[in-house]
Amino acid sequence: MKIFSIITTLLLALLAHGGDPAPGLTPVADPKPILAELQQKMSSLTSVYLEFTQERQLKLFSEPLKSDGVMLIDRPGQIRWETTSPYQSILLGSQKSVAQFEFADGKWKKLKLGFPQMLKRVMDQMTLMHQGKLDALTSDFSISVSTGAVTVVTMVPKDENVRSLLAALEIQLYSDLSATREVVMREPGGDLTRIIFNREKRGVKFPEQTFDQTKPLDLAAIKAVVANAP
Amino acid sequence: MRLDLLTLSLALLTGCATAPRLQMQRPANTFPADGLITQRGVLTALGRQYTLNGYLASSATRGQRLVITENFGGVLADVLLLPDGSVHVMRSSRILKPKWIERYVAADLRCLFGVASGSDCPGTMLGPNHFLIERGWYKLDLQIVETKPGPPSADLFNPDPARKP
Repeated sequence: MKIFSIITTLLLALLAHGGDPAPGLTPVADPKPILAELQQKMSSLTSVYLEFTQERQLKLFSEPLKSDGVMLIDRPGQIRWETTSPYQSILLGSQKSVAQFEFADGKWKKLKLGFPQMLKRVMDQMTLMHQGKLDALTSDFSISVSTGAVTVVTMVPKDENVRSLLAALEIQLYSDLSATREVVMREPGGDLTRIIFNREKRGVKFPEQTFDQTKPLDLAAIKAVVANAP
Repeated sequence: MRLDLLTLSLALLTGCATAPRLQMQRPANTFPADGLITQRGVLTALGRQYTLNGYLASSATRGQRLVITENFGGVLADVLLLPDGSVHVMRSSRILKPKWIERYVAADLRCLFGVASGSDCPGTMLGPNHFLIERGWYKLDLQIVETKPGPPSADLFNPDPARKP
């Protein structure tokens, strides 16, 4: 479950959009200036709306297993991770608590979550990241950067136990660091998860109840607001 | 989290002494004999709920291979059921131990996707693609969310990947 925490943290931290590193990339000797620039850009962000496609590539299966969804982040430390296809599920987090909803038989049902502490920890890390505190990552990961047509940040877990689950995490950003295109989570056996961000909107004022952990607002209503946002 | 894991473990380990329950009546040929079936499940144990994704490769002649993941793709279990009835745990995790996979995941797999429901299938069919297995100490609410007909790769059904079939 620690992998969940790491993945979510990095997604939030780097506002991922995701793929394999493009060819022709050159490793950067000192990644600190680029990470500092990224941190500076993140720290000015108040909210973000992202649509994503998640591809789970298991060597066992010839085709990737795909799902679609949205991720919303708002200050202070609010997150909504919603899978829209092939099933519907909402994960909500704040600085105080987490909640999950599943859609079945035409209605949303709130779950009595197992491992709530783990999810809370995710939320705490998320908040740190949303504040641009990337130094929190360097204690857990060895970070390297390559540049070229895109910028790729590669993060290798320092902890051996974590590394047995997650060999490396690659974040592919536009070369100007304006947005993330893709995140790839590589596993030791060669399986990987790729999250490709198709659409991003920043600085959105989300409607009330977007992050409500009792009765979250329907996604269609949120999308309508996002569509009309400047 | 340690407490949750402990209680879940105790539930799984001690749960075998349960009174017989109503057996699920599932029509034959509910699913394609050859294909990939994607599932979304909610496992309830000791009042706590855990969401799971299931990816089942099914072959009429070679067997069934099920991979279970958590929300973000981490593999919790990978199990192969061969036509001779043997169960091969290909991968396990801290959450789903080999013994649990062999005993319970395989049983639920047979119950829901076997040629016949069999006698170890306590639960209810809530809809054409919606099932509830109740073993007393855990409940699995499972929905079929995607079905792709077609024969899966033969490699999936090799219990010893180091050796070619």
